[in-house]
Parts: sequence; structure tokens; C-alpha cells
Amino acid sequence: MTKAAGGIEVEGTVVECLRNATFTVQLENGHKVLAHISGKIRKNYIKILPEDRVLVELSPYDLTRGRIRYRYRS
Amino acid sequence: MNPLHSTPAGDDPAVRVARISETQWQAVADDLPVGSGDAARRPDGRLFVSIDAWHGSAFDRIADAMLADLPEPLHTLVDEADRDTASAWERLGFTPARREWDHLVPTDPQITGLGPVRCPEGVTILPAGSAEEGPLRALDRIVRDEVEATLGWRRMPAEILPRPVGDTVVDPSKYAVAQEAGRYVGLVRVAPLRLPRIGLIAVRADRQRRGIGRALLAHALGALHEAGTAWARTEVDASNTAAAALLAGIGARRRGSTLELVRR
Repeated sequence: MTKAAGGIEVEGTVVECLRNATFTVQLENGHKVLAHISGKIRKNYIKILPEDRVLVELSPYDLTRGRIRYRYRS
Repeated sequence: MNPLHSTPAGDDPAVRVARISETQWQAVADDLPVGSGDAARRPDGRLFVSIDAWHGSAFDRIADAMLADLPEPLHTLVDEADRDTASAWERLGFTPARREWDHLVPTDPQITGLGPVRCPEGVTILPAGSAEEGPLRALDRIVRDEVEATLGWRRMPAEILPRPVGDTVVDPSKYAVAQEAGRYVGLVRVAPLRLPRIGLIAVRADRQRRGIGRALLAHALGALHEAGTAWARTEVDASNTAAAALLAGIGARRRGSTLELVRR
């Protein structure tokens, strides 16, 4: 877990694509969070799929929610 | 942080927005980052913006700063299923400019029905990685000019990779090419991702309506199937009914849509 300029960032794996452009991501510590795609990722046409390794920025207001900031190359 | 520009927080004094580089804005509340904005220029010159914020007031404050700093027109992309984000942009005066359908495309010839498809007489297909770079670049330039003169390239699914000025072929190894009488007449580009992406399929205007595009698609999907890949994906502009009909005819499934919004 790192504290980056944008907040707390954690690596995880996408386990499910949900409706409303959100995803369930399992973090390295086993917790699951509900995450949406960052505008920057969408702008770059990067698609997120189940099993993708991703970097999630957790919400400072609700640690069960986050934003996918980066998709690692598989 | 070395702010180039700072914006008062409007009706939410806890939020401050600073422009931290030519293309980035950051919102902070009580020393906590609560949002960021980003601007990027596409190879075609259009300026795209995005905002990521943890609450609506931070979104609005970042938007105020970006709209004050950047020249119009401004473009942004939203998932059409994400109504909250689309509404936030629309409140700022952004309006829908185009819709793009995201498709999952099967590769199995038994599903696509493309197995029996053969090239028109005199046409051969050079597999990805075997086309000569010079003629490939020339063909790409020709088909783009032809599209620009008819539909207009901006109606085509977006291309976002940076490339040298005047160059539209980033990686020649991704292209399979249709050849006729020693001349390149059509191409298909497939990005070899975990879910491969069909990025472009095009045939020279004077060689269209002969089945070359269908043969290129059959070749590309067949190659993926032989490599053990069951699905590919592609995007199609909603106004491109011919492409949508082609995809529907080979069993492709729509799995979502992206809305491009513009503020002029």
C-alpha cells in the first residue's frame, strides 16, 4: 500500500465487471472494493477485464470504494 | 507542488484547485487530495479532458478551473452506463457528439460463418508482420484521405496513441494486408492484447464492394481462433450502420457504449 499524491493506492485483481461502469476488485490483503475507471483510463481507451491486475486509489471517505488508476500489462 | 494557477473554491471554501502542470489540475480539501483533472491532445488535434473527484463539489471546482484555462472545443468520454458522470458534464454545457458501440466479436468460424469466405480472384492476404512498410504506410494514408473526404475521420472510432507528425502507422507488425496485382488495396489492424482489439479495417475506395473487407475480417478472426483466442473486441460509431450490420451478421455482441461529449 502506498500513499500517493492522489490518496492511498493499492494493487488488486478485477474479479467482476458490474453494471454502471463499476468493477469488483480484490485487493492484495483480500478485501474487496467497488471501483470505477478513472477518467484518464477511459480517455485512453484502456478496457478493464476480469483477471486484470490494477492499481486502485481508495476513496478517503469510504475505504470500500475506489478508482482504477492503472492497468498492468498481463 | 508548484502551482501555475490557483482558483478560489467558489461555494465550497474547503476545496482549493491548483493547476500543477500544463495538463493537470488538483483539488485539495483540508490537505487531502479530493480530485484531479487532466487534459490531453489527440493526434488529430482535439483536446480531451477528464476529471476524477471523490465528490460533486470537487468535480465542479476542477471543471471551473479547467474550463477557464482551456480553449474550446473540449471533448470528453464517458461510459453511457455511468449516468452520474454524464450528467455532471452535461451540467457544464457538454453535449453528446457521437456514440460508439463496444462489441465482443467471436473468432470461431462456426459462429461467424466466415469459414468459407475466400478472397476475390486475384487478391491475396499477407498475414500480420509480412507486409512491406513503405507500401503499407502509403495505403494507410490513402484510405484515411478517402475517409476524410467522405464520412470524415472524426466519425471513426478514436485513435489515441501519439505518433510522429504525418505518420499514421504506429506498429506495422499489427497489420494484415490485401494485395492485388502487386498493389496493397486493403488492411486490417489487430492489437494483440489479452482481449485482442480490431482497431481498423479498410479497403481502397476503388476496390470496395468486392468482398475484400470481409476476407480481411475472416483472415484476422481466423488467425486469432487458430491461436486459441475465442473473442476479440472492436468499437463502431453508432452512425455506421453498415459496420454494425456486418458485426451483427457474424454474431458480435454489443457490451456497452461510450459517449463522446463536446463543449463548443
